[in-house]
Amino acid sequence: MSNAYLTYAAKRLGQAVVVILLAYIFTFVVVSILPGDPITSVLRNPQNGFTEQEIAEIIAAQGLDKPIIVQLWNALSGFLTGDLGMSMRSNRPVATLIAEVLPSTLILASAGLAVALVLALLVAYGTRFVPKKYGQGLLRGFPSLFLSVPNFVIGLMLIHIFGFQLGLFRVINPDSFWATFFAAIALGIPVSAQIAEVLIANLDKEAEQEYATVARSRGIGQARLFATHLLKPASLPVVTVVALTIGELLGGSLITETVYGRTGIGSLVQRSVSTQDLPVLQAVVSLGAVVFVLVNLIADLLYPLLDPRVKIVGGRKRSPTTADEPSIGATKAVAP
Amino acid sequence: MASQDRLTPTLLYPATAAPLLKVRNLSVSYGRQEVVHDVGFELGRGKSLALIGESGSGKSTIARAVLRLLPSGASASGQVEFEGQEILALPERRFRPLRGRAIGFVPQDPGNSLNPVRTIGVQAMEAAALTGETNTAIRKALILETFAQVGLDNPQRVYDSYPHQLSGGMLQRVLIGLAVLPRPALLVADEPTSALDVTIQKRILDLLSRLQQDLDISLLLITHDLAIAAERTDSLVVLKNGSVQEAGKTSSVFSSPASAYARKLHADVPALNPDRYAKLRDPGLRPRTSREAPKIEVSAVTKTFAVDGKILTAVDNVSFAVPAGTTHALVGESGSGKTTTIRLLLGLEEPDSGEISVAGDRVSGRSHQSLRSVWRHLQLVYQNPFTSLDPTWTVEHLVREPLDRFRIGTSQERAAQVREALANVGLAEHLLSRKPGALSGGQRQRVAIARSLVLKPDVIVLDEPTSALDVSVQADIVEVLLTLQAKLGLTYIFVSHDLALVRQLAHTVSVMKQGSVVEQGSVTDIFENPRHAYTASLLESIPAGISEARPALQPKARHTYRQEQLA
Repeated sequence: MSNAYLTYAAKRLGQAVVVILLAYIFTFVVVSILPGDPITSVLRNPQNGFTEQEIAEIIAAQGLDKPIIVQLWNALSGFLTGDLGMSMRSNRPVATLIAEVLPSTLILASAGLAVALVLALLVAYGTRFVPKKYGQGLLRGFPSLFLSVPNFVIGLMLIHIFGFQLGLFRVINPDSFWATFFAAIALGIPVSAQIAEVLIANLDKEAEQEYATVARSRGIGQARLFATHLLKPASLPVVTVVALTIGELLGGSLITETVYGRTGIGSLVQRSVSTQDLPVLQAVVSLGAVVFVLVNLIADLLYPLLDPRVKIVGGRKRSPTTADEPSIGATKAVAP
Repeated sequence: MASQDRLTPTLLYPATAAPLLKVRNLSVSYGRQEVVHDVGFELGRGKSLALIGESGSGKSTIARAVLRLLPSGASASGQVEFEGQEILALPERRFRPLRGRAIGFVPQDPGNSLNPVRTIGVQAMEAAALTGETNTAIRKALILETFAQVGLDNPQRVYDSYPHQLSGGMLQRVLIGLAVLPRPALLVADEPTSALDVTIQKRILDLLSRLQQDLDISLLLITHDLAIAAERTDSLVVLKNGSVQEAGKTSSVFSSPASAYARKLHADVPALNPDRYAKLRDPGLRPRTSREAPKIEVSAVTKTFAVDGKILTAVDNVSFAVPAGTTHALVGESGSGKTTTIRLLLGLEEPDSGEISVAGDRVSGRSHQSLRSVWRHLQLVYQNPFTSLDPTWTVEHLVREPLDRFRIGTSQERAAQVREALANVGLAEHLLSRKPGALSGGQRQRVAIARSLVLKPDVIVLDEPTSALDVSVQADIVEVLLTLQAKLGLTYIFVSHDLALVRQLAHTVSVMKQGSVVEQGSVTDIFENPRHAYTASLLESIPAGISEARPALQPKARHTYRQEQLA
């Protein structure tokens, strides 16, 4: 690991921290300046039945009587130490509420990503090896088909077929392997479409490169060509695409959890939105930002390790296209 | 058309020695369009044959048909016999064992012919596997031995490198090494040197000739350069638009071409016709009085760049002067500082020290704004007409743009000037509404020249203006340039690595190496009496066509191959 790479990694890490902090401050400010003061409007809602004294206590406990800048400082320092405040509905720490549901969502999202990757690879492999007359064109149409069908439609169809018709899993209060499996498929299919799209296009491009022809002239067969020559260069842009689909995966998890009646971040968000539980929402939004930034950070850090052509110059990575450009006529090295 | 008996080189070989490769009635189509028509030739064991022609002549398509590497959508018919076995109709499963083992392939563009994200060693292992050797350590030893054999001086380091870490010349050595490693009987080399510098070109061709001799390999060489083909092969097949124009022993086709096309091809190769444009060029050689100020004066210019913390001197104390109405050539290999010199001349870079003036105006040390008036008199024609013209603009728009930019004349006057510029470069008016995509390479470069002419400049900088074009198209462009010079009294700065071309059209020349001018003078002096060893080596690398002795094949020469230095 070179010095240049470590400098680059440190710089990207620093940027990531700044982005997370800014995202937190941004959501905080948006919530604070929203007209109508949602916090007091919830507390003063007659249906909730708080007395004036209770309201004053809650406001004091949440620190809502302090100046906004002090509130931000308290929230931010709490956020950095893992204290995400108290839920306004259940009066329990937000961190605990999230910790209860996070594993379920993480399992679903990772399983969804795994499904997406496997499916994308299968479709891409098929487009190279299924002959035209046996439906290669159909396979090539899969990404656009999957992209255009909404996530919940696939989820409902899978429930209908495998839950109701075949009885593979319980539809009410599901917790079995199969329930997670089908939820992951419903979540993974639209995500796989984006990955497959990029992978197919890149495989087509790589297969036309001269090196592929030259490799074939060395007696390399099509299957080996795919596995040892084409897949790696074609997958490199996929790293970036996967990082970008994390948002989709998280958003999709919320919908899928609702459709499958799973507890998870999705159900927590749904409950908090309907009860306007702002500390929870703020925490979930910030968590989303953290996950998104982290995944993209990992992608950025991985890329120079995967692609030997990427050069790190002055703490920035340079793509192969710019790295290939010869510097103008400069050849003679003179000791400075 | 050639006479019938010259169309088939079959007669060259006694009937008893069966040829290694026998192509008969080969036709290749892309979709419904036939691009190769009824081609036939034979290549004997240990012999060499060149397929020669311009782009679109079908020469590469024939090579790929023999290798069975045609792109999908292409279909070949006819017979290709290799060692007596018909291979065109062979199922892929039965042909694959021949690939690499019996038929090796050296591609055109070394920079794109190795997988960019895998090390050279991993890819070399694929070739080593074809030898049947199962022990990995022995395979690796074989690879390193082959790398040394093709003149790579640090085989282990090459083995561990990724392709982008090596120069084009080194990559081509690697590819040649990988092709010969399994000891094939036939080597197909598709323009193996067209992407390389001249001096490296000669070394690569020497290497191919040597390996062909040492290992007794038959060579099928695809090239557009008649001089190279004549120098390196036993027989020639001249192709045009997918048909054989002439075929036979190299010596007879080369020295007395029977077909009109082969004669034209011969006439268009600069190396073989140094004095072709003497009449057009010579008026520029008239004696000058010493009081006449030079049009371009570059004095003691130095330019350095900081790259990765190191200081690189791209141009080192370069001086030259060019009299009005003449052509000054800057020659040298890639990285010799030619391009930086012209960027300095055009005011695109500021020199660290030294002065540049054009027509008495200083170029160096001026603001961008005040340079605009200089640029009216100083125009550039770029190297590659396939990338230098905006594909969404019409020819008229492209040629008119400089007039629009400098707000010259009314719109009628501009239109008239555009037509005049087009007429000057020999383009018909009906092309005005075309877009670059609908023009040939030669037409595109004419448009680029017209675009530089329309401001009526005194000086045009030509940056390798023909290096992306075919020989015959190159000849057309050179003629246009020389005619314009004679007619309009233009002064040219001509950047090129092709010395044969420089000899045809330039009056004076500066030979550059690593940022410095190593030799300077009139073209006649430099070419007839080079004083610097580097100039001599550049001159030697001009393919001479057929010479009495073939020096590359003398055993003594084998040990003197210059090894490529690791960057």
